Amino acid sequence: MKPLQIVVCVKQVPDPEGPADAFKVDSEAKKVIPVGIPPVINPFDENALEAAMRIKNQFDAKVTVVSMGEKLAQPVLRKALAAGADDLILLMDQNFKDVDSCSTAYVLASAIRRIDAYDLILTGRQAGDWDFGVTGLLIAEMLQIPVINLARKVEIRDDGIFVERLCDDGYEVVKAKMPALVTVSGELGELRYISVRALQAVSKKPIKIFNAVDLELDLQKLTQRTIYNLFAFQDERQCKFVEGESSQEKGEKLAIFMKKEGLI
Amino acid sequence: MPLNRISIWSFFCHSSSIIEILIKWLKLLGEIRASLGNCADEKATGMLIEDSQVEGMENIREDKGRILVLAEREGEGIASITFELLGAGRKIASDLRAILSITLLGHEISDVTNKTAQFADEVYSLDHPLLANFEPDLYASALKQLCQKVNPDAVLMGCTLNNLNLTPRLAYRMGVEVITDCVELVIEPETGYLLCTKPVYGAKVLSTFKLRKKPYMVTLRPKAFEVIRLESDRGEIIHFNPVIDESLVKIEMIEKIKEESVSLNKAEAIVAGGRGIKDAEGLERLKGLIKVLRKYFNKVELGASRPLVDARLVPSSRQIGLTGEKVAPELYIAVGISGSLQHLTGILGAKKIIAINTDPKAHIFKVADYGIIGSFEEVVPALERKLEELK
Repeated sequence: MKPLQIVVCVKQVPDPEGPADAFKVDSEAKKVIPVGIPPVINPFDENALEAAMRIKNQFDAKVTVVSMGEKLAQPVLRKALAAGADDLILLMDQNFKDVDSCSTAYVLASAIRRIDAYDLILTGRQAGDWDFGVTGLLIAEMLQIPVINLARKVEIRDDGIFVERLCDDGYEVVKAKMPALVTVSGELGELRYISVRALQAVSKKPIKIFNAVDLELDLQKLTQRTIYNLFAFQDERQCKFVEGESSQEKGEKLAIFMKKEGLI
Repeated sequence: MPLNRISIWSFFCHSSSIIEILIKWLKLLGEIRASLGNCADEKATGMLIEDSQVEGMENIREDKGRILVLAEREGEGIASITFELLGAGRKIASDLRAILSITLLGHEISDVTNKTAQFADEVYSLDHPLLANFEPDLYASALKQLCQKVNPDAVLMGCTLNNLNLTPRLAYRMGVEVITDCVELVIEPETGYLLCTKPVYGAKVLSTFKLRKKPYMVTLRPKAFEVIRLESDRGEIIHFNPVIDESLVKIEMIEKIKEESVSLNKAEAIVAGGRGIKDAEGLERLKGLIKVLRKYFNKVELGASRPLVDARLVPSSRQIGLTGEKVAPELYIAVGISGSLQHLTGILGAKKIIAINTDPKAHIFKVADYGIIGSFEEVVPALERKLEELK
């Protein structure tokens, strides 16, 4: 039996766990500029990578990680190789700058089509920067394969892929034939621990880089997202601190405060 | 009298749309509640006007544009976000001089369809056995057929977990982009294009996108829009039969597991715990506080930031933040929550925020109205006792 071909799509984003003041807004240029925080793999994409690794632990599988961007930081994305991915493909081109979700999906789908007989595509449920949550589903539409979103568990059995997916009032167990695409939610679990040694071990591993010409893309199909306005959202309130000798006293005072200020 | 932040802010920055959005959120809860009360009353007395039912599609008005709202179902009825969608839809419809349409998908839905008719100019009922349950492959196909037939200017849907699975596919099939999780919609007067604003970068930034291609397709964040006021005229009910069959379904349902149903977005007060809570014992203290708050508020719920959910101390249905619920209670008490971006995006609509944290530098204090620097193990029981005493 041939190995399972798994593709994981990952996006490089400024660390969403970074402090709030690390995101500066240039309203003129309509850009968000991260200050002093490193780029990381989008956390939900790390969950997707973890899902792939769990399958690889069980089956003979080949995991290819694909990332797209105008400029990508290789050391950041090599983490995927250290986690156990077999191949890393970077799709980099000036034309990929600030494109919309549909264009992103088009580029990724074009790259995935070149991967021979893929069985499963995994993506994060949404990106921690623009938070659209549509790219994975669009890729599936373009490739015309079944899609299951918001997975908290992904398992492969003889006759297909079984997924526990979140829904508004609990979860569902669903099944699809492969090839299929699954978007993964945080509930699946965090990416396994990666040691410094593992990172060093993959630092020289060759990476494949493709541009728009390599992928034979129709540049007409790439459209930039039209941002009309971009501004920092300040919800800073004037915090009144409740003072006291002890935590206990503060607690009691807070209750009195709540009454006095009409909170209760 | 407490400092009236709303009036001060409006005084200084009434022209800024950021502030407007915030104020809107802050003011909204009361209004939502009031109007929801109305809706419930009207449902009970809703009359059925036989004449308005039209079979088939002969009566579609083609002289006017239309804004299509997708009703969000909840059990046998309609989820409250539907009225927010209608409220937003009515505003755009009047700007574009279009009619407001609502669409219901399901099976044997004539009751709920009739009740909905009071809120829109026309109602599309897609009543089909295969649409009984939410099935994205079929729903996307049915809605696409409807859109092709009635040619809406805009399609408004709720930003719900189900719709995350539906809207990108519908948008793709209609050849347009979808902007998800919008908190403001405005029609650009000179062009008629739709300007839609959504929080990005964990709500630290608001981004406005301009949609030029119709149908403008958006999903709206719950609690961000005012609910529709009851209208005098009943909308016409139009039955639309989509051509769908089971072969469209690519995903096989094995089983559905219902978990504890939590409606955080309906809570008047929320006590939420974060990383500082550490264990089940800490959680018990929060529950004690919730118990006494129930003497002051009708509905008090336990919430959590992501670390508590990851530690499996609290089910994910109680998670508040980017990937959890977005809430807008009267009172939000954040205990041991540092205030990461991903959490803060979920509590923007809270009217008053109290933060209890040992770290004076915790970001949560920047967004809180009242703060206590101290260990919750001591603060919370003392607070609980005193609240009990004061009641």
